[in-house]
Amino acid sequence: MNIKYFPGVLLLWILFSAVGVSAQEDANAVERGLKTFMRVGCYECHGTDGKGSEAGTALTPETLPPEAIANFIRFSPGRMPVYPVEVLSDEEIIDIVAYLESVPLSPDADDVDILKALALDKK
Amino acid sequence: MTSSPQKNKTNVGRRNFIKTAVVAGAATTLPSEKGAAAQNRTVTETGVSQGLAPPSVEQMSMEASTPEQVSEVQSDQGPAATETESAKYFGSDFMIDVMKSLDLDYVFSNPGSSFLGLHESITVYGGNRKPEFITCMHEESAAAMANGYYKAALKPAAIMCHGTVGLQHAAMNLYNAWCDRVPLIAILGNTVDASDRMGGTTWRHSAQDPAAMVRDFTKWDDQPASLQAFAESMVRGWKIATTPPMEPIVLAVDSTLQETAVEDPESLKIPRYTPSEPPQGERGAVRKTAKLLVDAEEPVIIVDRLARTPEGMRLLVELAELLNVPVIDIASRQNMPTSHYLNQTRQSGRLISRADLVLGMEVTDFWGQVNSVNRAEMTSEPRVKEGTKLVTISVNDLYMKSNYQDFQRYAPVDISISGDAEATLPALIEEVKEAMSRSRRRVLAQKEKTFRKMHADSFEESRQLAARGWNSSPVSTARLSMEIYEQIKAEDWALVSVGASERFISSWPHRLWNFDEHYRYLGIGAGGGVGYGLPAAVGAALANKALGRFSVNIQCDGDFMYANGALWTAAHHRIPLLTVMHNNRAYAQESMLVQGTANRRKRGVERASIGTLIQDPNIDYAKLAEGMGVWSAGPIENPDDLRPALIEAVKVVKSGYPALVDVVTQMR
Ligand code: HEC
Repeated sequence: MNIKYFPGVLLLWILFSAVGVSAQEDANAVERGLKTFMRVGCYECHGTDGKGSEAGTALTPETLPPEAIANFIRFSPGRMPVYPVEVLSDEEIIDIVAYLESVPLSPDADDVDILKALALDKK
Repeated sequence: MTSSPQKNKTNVGRRNFIKTAVVAGAATTLPSEKGAAAQNRTVTETGVSQGLAPPSVEQMSMEASTPEQVSEVQSDQGPAATETESAKYFGSDFMIDVMKSLDLDYVFSNPGSSFLGLHESITVYGGNRKPEFITCMHEESAAAMANGYYKAALKPAAIMCHGTVGLQHAAMNLYNAWCDRVPLIAILGNTVDASDRMGGTTWRHSAQDPAAMVRDFTKWDDQPASLQAFAESMVRGWKIATTPPMEPIVLAVDSTLQETAVEDPESLKIPRYTPSEPPQGERGAVRKTAKLLVDAEEPVIIVDRLARTPEGMRLLVELAELLNVPVIDIASRQNMPTSHYLNQTRQSGRLISRADLVLGMEVTDFWGQVNSVNRAEMTSEPRVKEGTKLVTISVNDLYMKSNYQDFQRYAPVDISISGDAEATLPALIEEVKEAMSRSRRRVLAQKEKTFRKMHADSFEESRQLAARGWNSSPVSTARLSMEIYEQIKAEDWALVSVGASERFISSWPHRLWNFDEHYRYLGIGAGGGVGYGLPAAVGAALANKALGRFSVNIQCDGDFMYANGALWTAAHHRIPLLTVMHNNRAYAQESMLVQGTANRRKRGVERASIGTLIQDPNIDYAKLAEGMGVWSAGPIENPDDLRPALIEAVKVVKSGYPALVDVVTQMR
């Protein structure tokens, strides 16, 4: 992990959350986050609303804090392509988190008729 | 066409025509019905000519050519047949009789002037039945259809095309068939004798050695110089193609030979076809393997193309249950029922890393299973522990070619058994029973509970994950897959194609559908050549129509655009097939890979998606389908619209027609 870089993101995030941004700014961040999420291709593997696929784990509803995401995507050792700071800035990661946190919850499998029937078929 | 006098065969006359016409009937006797005794016959006067039955009105209207077409062909290929000539028994008639003797059901073809004789003999002389001419809009489609047909019917089909331009088109899907161990017969039209070539096109459509182009990925080929040689090569080729490792074969058929009027049909013989028994693994090595299996604490079986037939699945289940050994099914064929508690495919990483014995059966890339690679870093490391015993049973080493590298990385193993795994399983099962003591059986029986729980947990995990993004738009691939399953699960369904990889839809069918029969899944376009999915599905659906099965195809948009004329073939030949588009408006796999490359190179990613998106304009697949006479719905963006559309589509398919539902989906 790049130590120099890490506190920078954290600081930005703390600033954003502590200052208490307006609803309009929130909405802007969500919109910017969605745009970035699409532009740099996160949606290809994680789905347009971060619900995940076999190519990329679900990023919501348990969204990681920005510094953890930054840490992961800048140094990912696994199947996920690394996103260096030249491709995705710390500020953009904060926007992505705002977007992911705005995504509505998915239903529970037992609340979906087809998926519920699957469980019953098994029994 | 017949300029060389020595080849301008004598008219056999009306009496002889009647005789030889009758022969066609004799030749339609199916080997499977009458057995080998009916074969190896000389042309005789007995039998009723099924081959000469007039085509139905529908067939005639389907295949009629316009006067313009006829005259163009005449100027291209020489004079049309005269009245008297029409009474002859032609070389191509005999060729069709040879095909009938092999019980060939279909010839997938796009018409071409180098095989006019064969074309006419199939439709007119042979009555367009066994073989029937299936009109394809591209030779690539023809080859994929024959591929899909084989995997559903477990019976080879033929394709017929120009030895030059047609084969150039067909080549990619021949390669898919080669990588997939699918036998098919490619018949190439060619004009061997240069003095028989009538002008420019016939020259451009002739080659000295047409099969050369595909020799690196076909098992055998020939260009027979006489009708008798054709008969032997056709039967030999069929036999070679269907002997494991099963692969495509090629026969170049001289157009002059097709036109030859047969002077003395009685002199021609159709040799008897006897299928080769597949090779079985050496008994001593099988015994050693059985002993290793019985003694191992954490053995794992990996299978890919083990089950050539439903019997392969039955035998694998028997072996797995005897030992309570988990099975990882790569599923180029459906080898292991997905609902079986020993199908532990989703746990492959964990199981392989803990295994003390890995047995691979008909796995092409065994090295890739016991090692993991990091593509970006170009490194690899073993997935297995040090000392893990590795055993393979396969026909991989029995036949191989050098140029194309589909044989994969060399895998060092402890025991390598060359033999067909399905044919070897009965011996292996016997040896396992022999080697297993009562007490060992009791110990192994205790594993059942653990594997049942692992299987149930894995299913439940997938079921929970499938709910994620259930209401998303674009539609999630889980919702796409499960809405389809809901509508077909009461049918005798078969997922006939998912294109180049089921991972493109996050493997949802294999995670949650119940693949309990061999025919429920036919694997992928094994060479990774795009343009396989739709035509392969149409070929398989043609087979399933006769077998009373409901065919469903999950169709990637990129693949669709290579060979979408296959939809017209489905409409034209009334082939019931439900096609549901996985329309993510991208070449998603490449999109991801280019993105990763751009990330690594740090020069900006803005332009990384150029060339990988299929947008601006979006393609309207429902309209395309409608234009080809196929019932269609979509594009569906709201997931709630999916169910009513699928309900309608299933009705259409059950009434005997193809249907397409276009769904705008997530990338994966
Ligand atoms: C090519 C596919 C791909 C792309 C594009 C991609 N990811 Fe990933 N991502 C993955 C995979 C695969 C994993 C799981 C990696 C692993 O387990 O090693 C992952 C994991 C993650 C994780 C860790 C999740 C967890 O809970 O452990 C985060 C966060 C993440 N990705 C965010 C992003 C963001 C943000 C983007 C866009 C900037 C992105 N990813 C783009 C494939 C991708």
